[in-house]
Amino acid sequence: MTLPETCIHCNLPIPPTDRVVDIIDGEVLHFCCHGCHGAYLIICGAGLKNFYQKRQWTEQGVPKAVYEAAFDDDTLAGHVTSSADGLSEISFVIEGVRCATCVWLLERMLGESPGVDSIRVNYGTHRARVRFDPQLTTPAKIFTTVSRLGYLPHPFTITAAQKAAVREQRSLLIRFGTAAFLSMQLMGYAFALYAGYFHGIDPGIRDLLHCFAAAVTTPVVFYSGWPFISGAWRSLKNRAPSMDLLVALGVLAAYLYSLYATVVGGEVYFDTAAMIVTLILLGRLFEGSARNRSMSGIDKLLKLAPDTANLIEGDLTRSVASHSLSPGALIMVRPGERVPVDCSVNNGVSEFDEATITGEPLPVLRETADPVQAGTLNLTASVILKVDKVAADSFVARMAHLVEEAQNRKAPIQSLADRVATLFVPLVMLISAGTWVAWRFIDADPTVALLNAVAVLIVACPCALGLATPTAVVVATGSAAARGILFRGGDILELCARIDLVAFDKTGTLTVGRPTVEKIEPAIGTTERQLLQLALQLESGSTHPLAASIIARGAEGDVVVPPAQGVETVPGRGLRLAAAGGELLIGSRRFLAEHDVEVPDLDACALTEVYCAEAGTYRGHILIHDPIRPDAGQVVAQLQALKLRTVLLTGDRLATAAKVSVELGIQEMVSDMSPAGKAQWLEHAQMDGHRTLMIGDGINDAPALSTADVGCSMAGGTDIALETADLVLTHPELGRLYEAIFIARGALRVIKQNLFWAFAYNLVAIPLAATGQLAPIWAAAAMASSSVLVVGNSLRLGRLFKKSF
Amino acid sequence: MFKSIVILVLLSLFVGTGVWLFFVWAVKKGEFDDIEGPKYRMLDDDDIDDSDQGD
Repeated sequence: MTLPETCIHCNLPIPPTDRVVDIIDGEVLHFCCHGCHGAYLIICGAGLKNFYQKRQWTEQGVPKAVYEAAFDDDTLAGHVTSSADGLSEISFVIEGVRCATCVWLLERMLGESPGVDSIRVNYGTHRARVRFDPQLTTPAKIFTTVSRLGYLPHPFTITAAQKAAVREQRSLLIRFGTAAFLSMQLMGYAFALYAGYFHGIDPGIRDLLHCFAAAVTTPVVFYSGWPFISGAWRSLKNRAPSMDLLVALGVLAAYLYSLYATVVGGEVYFDTAAMIVTLILLGRLFEGSARNRSMSGIDKLLKLAPDTANLIEGDLTRSVASHSLSPGALIMVRPGERVPVDCSVNNGVSEFDEATITGEPLPVLRETADPVQAGTLNLTASVILKVDKVAADSFVARMAHLVEEAQNRKAPIQSLADRVATLFVPLVMLISAGTWVAWRFIDADPTVALLNAVAVLIVACPCALGLATPTAVVVATGSAAARGILFRGGDILELCARIDLVAFDKTGTLTVGRPTVEKIEPAIGTTERQLLQLALQLESGSTHPLAASIIARGAEGDVVVPPAQGVETVPGRGLRLAAAGGELLIGSRRFLAEHDVEVPDLDACALTEVYCAEAGTYRGHILIHDPIRPDAGQVVAQLQALKLRTVLLTGDRLATAAKVSVELGIQEMVSDMSPAGKAQWLEHAQMDGHRTLMIGDGINDAPALSTADVGCSMAGGTDIALETADLVLTHPELGRLYEAIFIARGALRVIKQNLFWAFAYNLVAIPLAATGQLAPIWAAAAMASSSVLVVGNSLRLGRLFKKSF
Repeated sequence: MFKSIVILVLLSLFVGTGVWLFFVWAVKKGEFDDIEGPKYRMLDDDDIDDSDQGD
């Protein structure tokens, strides 16, 4: 009978030595460790066995080991807020939430634990808010429940900026809701008034409707329209005409004119004023929802380094907060734990996964005195580390600082609509003033002159102006999202259309970022298949990335070998198995040499070589490398066809960088770069007038990603890179980058057309207003038809993209 | 005629205000903060262990 290869709980391959078997309800179940076994029992015990059917889990390897973090109430106390009814509340971020079922499980498990009043997990942001009774439970108990389920909770306090963003979005929604509700009422009155305009209306009823219209429009203008009025005031103070100024001018002119007309009799434009405010707020709402997600970049970066560390004091270890560690202290890091601060190895040998930091797919061996950076994951053995730097100076903290700095330095982008407004506002003012002067010459009555000048202002502000950009952005980002391209907001879309320089990171971006078997070279007398079988006997049970590549190659060639019992791991060297036919060895050249196996010399060119020996005889080796993405060359060519300059920025040695850039036809390359160096290079390019896009995936790219005008990251990159990126490609295909730029350029073209039409319609109406011929019906018609045209033009964009790809 | 218009307009404003207050309450309660999750949440039915009946 063949044993199942993966654990029923975590889906990871079961190491042969660690297999845990249990019979539950007559069913034989296999687990990879006691932790998973325990988690399974907890879940089934709570009657939530459905989890295993519900979850859609295609990717492997959530937490690499069971998280055994200890949470203490003292540390968490600072994050708890109490409310008046005796309940307390705590918010935290949950790492490891992958799908809606995770949310379901967490809510059910926590909701049923004693003392928990209510729990809400936000699927979008992975944030949980728990209200609990402090008499019955403690935050530490809640955290332990979460971590026992295999998720990792992090306490967090919402920063002032994030709070403000949520408040702003909510108040925008209320403003829009209010404006929409009142505009609907107003529409009823306006309908009656327009009917009366054509068919006659009793003057008493008309005046009554005017009064009601004035009553409902007042809050629309002064409450809902407040952002425009205050924005206009700011722009006046800065002497920089903006879209807000144009909107406020139009709205206030229409409102005040109508108020005057209500009192003395005449036509009113209340509907125009309300419609402008409502539609432009709707546009803002569209844009705001897209931007909100990008707020959480920096706190994610910091949470990578664990909050607690195991401090060694004499013979005892004690759990302390990471920020209390001082240089020289000794800490213990077990396999599966992340390094809390920058350290060097004091005692022991282990392999560290630095993928999140450098994007490098292969684990690195660290021996005594080697440096280990905060945030790297210990893979194989427990080690004792000596603290080199305090938490605030550690690598991750430095990166967070660089990212924050770059984000602060970035000047706010002036949107296209704003730039058009800077030209349009003075023009309109000029025409309006001209109208007044002209009427003073023709007609001596100053009232007529003033009314006509105001009419020009009313009609000059197009509703469609507020819709021109957002509708195109919504359609473009929507069809981009369907292709797995996520723009973080409309400004990114505009910027992306304007870039002229694309900088690539190498590892994980131009290359696949996953070790792959390139070649199997058996020794004389051994076939390729035999060598593979030999290797698989040892490697099948291993979770090491190199082993994974060999297993994958085996599966391709239909060579599947069940893992042998009793495989011994030597960290950083290889694997050993005492088999019947003699000792099997697989590992580095040095590992084999240590076991007195003679290995022939090879010219090393691949990333890594894995050597194999049986009973003291060399049997061959396997070459493993990180291959270049198959579509990379084509994409570089496509980008160059779009007249974009391409640059390779990498931390690799010159020779490697040169080889890759020549192979792909990249125009320029810079090697041996530090994370800060990449950011600096981009900054210089920007100073030379370039608009830059950087694509990368490691944490070391995060500063460069936030410095570049557009930072782009691909799925499979680290969370941090994805969070700091402005543009995210959810499929690991470079081709999407070309599509993204294509879509952005198409969207910008449509935005320009929209703005043109929005203004053109109103410009046609300006002569009518200036000559005193403008009836409210014409103003309303101009607004409505330009809005319809703009929305229609934006919708065309979706079809265009469908045809193009 | 005049009177009935006044009554109808005021009535519509009155009803509308009620709906508006409900909307403001909902926004302040945070009902619109997570517009992504609920569409998945509704797919998770509450009855426990129903799949076992099929096995």
